[in-house]
Amino acid sequence: MHEYKISIYKYVKMICVLGLLVQATLLKAQDVIDLSGTWGFQTDVMDFRRGSLSPRYNHVLQGTIKLPGITDDYQIGYQNPYKYIDRLTRKYEYMGPAWYQRDIEIPADWKGKKIFLYFERTHWLSSIFVDTKEVSSIDYVSVPHNHDLSSFLKPGKKHRITICIDNRFQYNTHKWNHAHTEFTQINWNGILGDMKLLAIDPVYVEDLQVYPDITDQSIKVKLRVNNATKKQVKGKISFAIAGTNYSLKNEIALASTDSVTYVETNIPLGKQIKLWDEFNPNLYRISCQLTTSDGKNSYRHEKSTTFGMREVKQGKNHVLLNNRPIHLRGNVENAVFPKTGYAPLDDASWERIMLLMKEYGMNHLRFHSWCPPAAAFRMADKHGIYFEVEMPMWGKDAEPDEARYNFFRREIKAILKEYGNHPSFVLYCNGNEITGNFDFIEELTAEGRKADPRHLYSGSTARTRVKSDQYYVSQQTNKGAVKVYEGQPGTDWDKNVESDVDVPVISHESGQRCIYPNFDEIKKYANSPVEARNFEVFRDLLQKNGMLDQAKDFFRASGALTVLEYKAVIEALLRSGKSAGFQLLSMNDFPGQGYAPVGIFDPFWDSKGLVTAEKFRQFCAPTVTLLRYDKSSFFNTETFRGKAEVYNFSNSAIENAKIKWWLTDTAGKVLQKGTLKKQTIANDSVSPVGKFEIPLKNISSQKVTVHLAVNDTIKNSWDIWVYPKHQDLMQSTANVLYTDVYDDVAKRQLAQGKTVVLYPSPDKIKGRKSLFHNHFWNPIMFAWAPMTIGNLVHHKQAMFKDFLTSYHTDWQWWDILNHAKVIEMQHAPQQLRPFIQVIDSYDNNQKLGIGFEAKLNGGKLLVMALDTKNDMDNRPATQQLLYSIDNYVKSAKFSPQVAVDETFIQSFLTK
Amino acid sequence: MVKAVLWPIVAFFLSQTLMAQEIKVEGKASVSQVYKKTVEAESALSFNDLDIESGYVLYQTEINTDTESEELELENVRDYAVVYVDGRLQGTLSDQDKTLTIIAEPGKHTLQFYVENIGRITYGPEITDNSKGLFGTVSLAGNELQNWKMIPLDVRNYPLKDLVFEQKAVNGGPGFYRGRFELNPSSKSYLNMTGWGMGEVWLNQKYLGSYWEEEKQQSILIPSEHLISGQNELVIFELKNNQQKKISLSPIPVFK
Repeated sequence: MHEYKISIYKYVKMICVLGLLVQATLLKAQDVIDLSGTWGFQTDVMDFRRGSLSPRYNHVLQGTIKLPGITDDYQIGYQNPYKYIDRLTRKYEYMGPAWYQRDIEIPADWKGKKIFLYFERTHWLSSIFVDTKEVSSIDYVSVPHNHDLSSFLKPGKKHRITICIDNRFQYNTHKWNHAHTEFTQINWNGILGDMKLLAIDPVYVEDLQVYPDITDQSIKVKLRVNNATKKQVKGKISFAIAGTNYSLKNEIALASTDSVTYVETNIPLGKQIKLWDEFNPNLYRISCQLTTSDGKNSYRHEKSTTFGMREVKQGKNHVLLNNRPIHLRGNVENAVFPKTGYAPLDDASWERIMLLMKEYGMNHLRFHSWCPPAAAFRMADKHGIYFEVEMPMWGKDAEPDEARYNFFRREIKAILKEYGNHPSFVLYCNGNEITGNFDFIEELTAEGRKADPRHLYSGSTARTRVKSDQYYVSQQTNKGAVKVYEGQPGTDWDKNVESDVDVPVISHESGQRCIYPNFDEIKKYANSPVEARNFEVFRDLLQKNGMLDQAKDFFRASGALTVLEYKAVIEALLRSGKSAGFQLLSMNDFPGQGYAPVGIFDPFWDSKGLVTAEKFRQFCAPTVTLLRYDKSSFFNTETFRGKAEVYNFSNSAIENAKIKWWLTDTAGKVLQKGTLKKQTIANDSVSPVGKFEIPLKNISSQKVTVHLAVNDTIKNSWDIWVYPKHQDLMQSTANVLYTDVYDDVAKRQLAQGKTVVLYPSPDKIKGRKSLFHNHFWNPIMFAWAPMTIGNLVHHKQAMFKDFLTSYHTDWQWWDILNHAKVIEMQHAPQQLRPFIQVIDSYDNNQKLGIGFEAKLNGGKLLVMALDTKNDMDNRPATQQLLYSIDNYVKSAKFSPQVAVDETFIQSFLTK
Repeated sequence: MVKAVLWPIVAFFLSQTLMAQEIKVEGKASVSQVYKKTVEAESALSFNDLDIESGYVLYQTEINTDTESEELELENVRDYAVVYVDGRLQGTLSDQDKTLTIIAEPGKHTLQFYVENIGRITYGPEITDNSKGLFGTVSLAGNELQNWKMIPLDVRNYPLKDLVFEQKAVNGGPGFYRGRFELNPSSKSYLNMTGWGMGEVWLNQKYLGSYWEEEKQQSILIPSEHLISGQNELVIFELKNNQQKKISLSPIPVFK
């Protein structure tokens, strides 16, 4: 292949009258045979080619299959008898070569044309056999397979086309990458999306790339023109650019003397051209019509693409889009598509996700170790979502392996070429958490930067930095941790110092708080290639352990905790004005790696009903009011001190903003209110807007809500808890004995039919640590202590009469739960339900509690596994809980129903 | 002749733009100043068993060698250990490289591992094993080493002002190094850690960041607000003791 310099004969420009619709009428220059429909089919678990005996392409295949589709759609493969615990179970597993066959008559008028066989997406190696000869094979993962069959198909003749799709790992790459993993989409075998045989004239536009220049309001268009005629051709390229109320035509001349000609031209677009960003995703379409002649024959070809006028640059701490800092509020996208088993290829499916992102205040998706199909880019272009895309690369994939290296070297180029024109393609990263030879990672990153400056580049998420990094997604920098996995009861902290390094830093995989599974989801898999058989196992175990009736409550209580953690996590990262953004893991559940139900959406992107979009947008949106304060639980002798900030990464400053704060009780009644100084709030930053204080005396409702609003439209709120101080708690009376040991005194008290409140020091209780937070990611993969996922509070019971709480734990529980112990209660009578019930890992499902009551030896017993001794002067919520329990045990309402025996009590006390 | 004319010009440019400002390291504070309570056990305990989330722990035991060169082998180290015998650097170990030849006169010696945990493993089959530090069998010349002392180091939270620096290094082990410098005007500066082993840096008592020679990234950004006019003070905690005598400032990030 030689590169010849082209000569441009003339340069014609004309701007059409705005609003005039220009319909280009084309001669028939391209023919297409749609290949969707029925194909001959045969599996090949033996891989007959290896034995050189009767390879399938020598035979008429006996079965049939419909394409586009995957083998799972037709129950082809190993009928899976197992119930996988760590993921959804694929009903019919297939990994191996599979053969697809059709006899196709090549139209006689395709003579002299280039003929391509095109599959929009397949897994992973596609090999084409024309009649009985293998003629082409392609192993891209992230882009379409476009086989050039021109030399092998004879127009006017019927050919037997046999396709081998081999979804085995073609290189020794990490098995978890989301292009192939069974953890999210499955490692399917099939052909998806557009599939066709097409014929084009032999002088054609092979590649069209558009490079916007927003300063000059022009585009640089780079074309690769292929000429298969072996003759010199001359002609012209006519450009038509169209957008809303915009139309422009432009033309250049072309002369080509060899097989490949590179053409580069600048096209000024005029002042009326509009920029593309998340707020105004203005799109334009450019079509290039190539008309050439070799003096005898003339050729035509048209190629078009969508583009947006936008530039991406590396700022000090932020990604700059059109020279303005953007802040990425993102979700980690892991190809979770259990409905189909593969990432959808259609616009509607992706549009739904982009609209959900917008609805929940987000502007960014990170495609973790995979690159989505074109429809995802199209819908992100349309709705203004910024993408980070990656190769199917993870972990040790950078360890030396030349074949694997070469695969990645091809793949990065293919991704940049295929999707580079999409304005939504803002960030490129090689892959996830890579280890190995970082000279190779640097090579890829530097090559990418050189090849296509329309995106910012990064070597690897969350691992070794490389020189060519233009941004960095990580849990930590060399300044410290930038990850935020969980909230705190106070909010006066951020990740500014840790984020301030030489490149913009994005907080990696934030959140990850585990929710108890919702077993109602089992039925949603009826028509899917996968089933939630693990849910059935978890559900059966819960039933065996006598708590199936509580499944929904466990789901709701842990879900509510995750929502309040995500509010805290996201706000912390919005307070971090020097952070480039965050990527939440994740808005939707991750059905693998042990099964991580960390989402507010299920794997089908259906809401779990835990939080509304409106509520979510209060803390995740282009403009959010933020409040810094020290703690959530107060004595009513204290004063609440708030420092107000406004995160504003919208498309404008807020002129003369009116900023109000007010305090409401649980009935919504306004208790106090005030205003902060009227001011203009800058854009593209996090601005302090003032401080206020609220004396908390005379507040009687325990839970109050601090509200902060800008111009009555941008609102956010935070619950705080206010308690009276209590003295002389836990005083024994004749009828009620408080004791931290289960001794003869306690036994006598019970034998007399009286009450004992047993509150052993947590270090005298066997069992697990108690924690406020629910488990990180999931307890099956990260099987670290204490393996609990939040608490269910039996809040309607009388012991909580004077301690305001919901069924789920909220920040007032912070101090109580972090100074407690979890009692293993599986061997207590089944009817016994602890009033503070700890939710166990769903693969264990044991009964756990921090507080319970029971009948014992004729007396009444209440057990609390809480610290009640240390630093009590600074623990208002613990004081209040003890006060409430004290009132309860001393009232007639204290009447435990379930009897336990002494061996159970002894079972959780250390000797 | 040409050389004579050019050199002053080159030298001028070097001094003005290219030559990085160098800071001489003056004094060392011994690591023993930040020792926390010693835990003793028959076997080496992981960070998890020591109830330490991350940071540094000194694992120490007495050895008796029969030959001048003996093979040290570990079952697990997460993520990085610097090995000293009687305060002399022997080498480093990581989970990818768990053997090391110990060179010492036959006889009794003190073997020390300074272990750092860099971060959590979050991929691959090891993902379910979240132990950190030194754990499992540690053997020398095939014999299992026992009777361990584990001493957590309070590197991150120890008040720097309380460190006692000495002008002459007392031993070759890890420690805190101090350097003072007057600031040359520079809008944005990086500390170039090239040559140093592994550790952390503070500037004017404020935490600046961490470094490791195994990383490609060799610089730490100095936020301009951390710098003061007049004398600035750097403190470097160095785990490996690469015998560096100076450190330099760079106007651009440094990668190797």
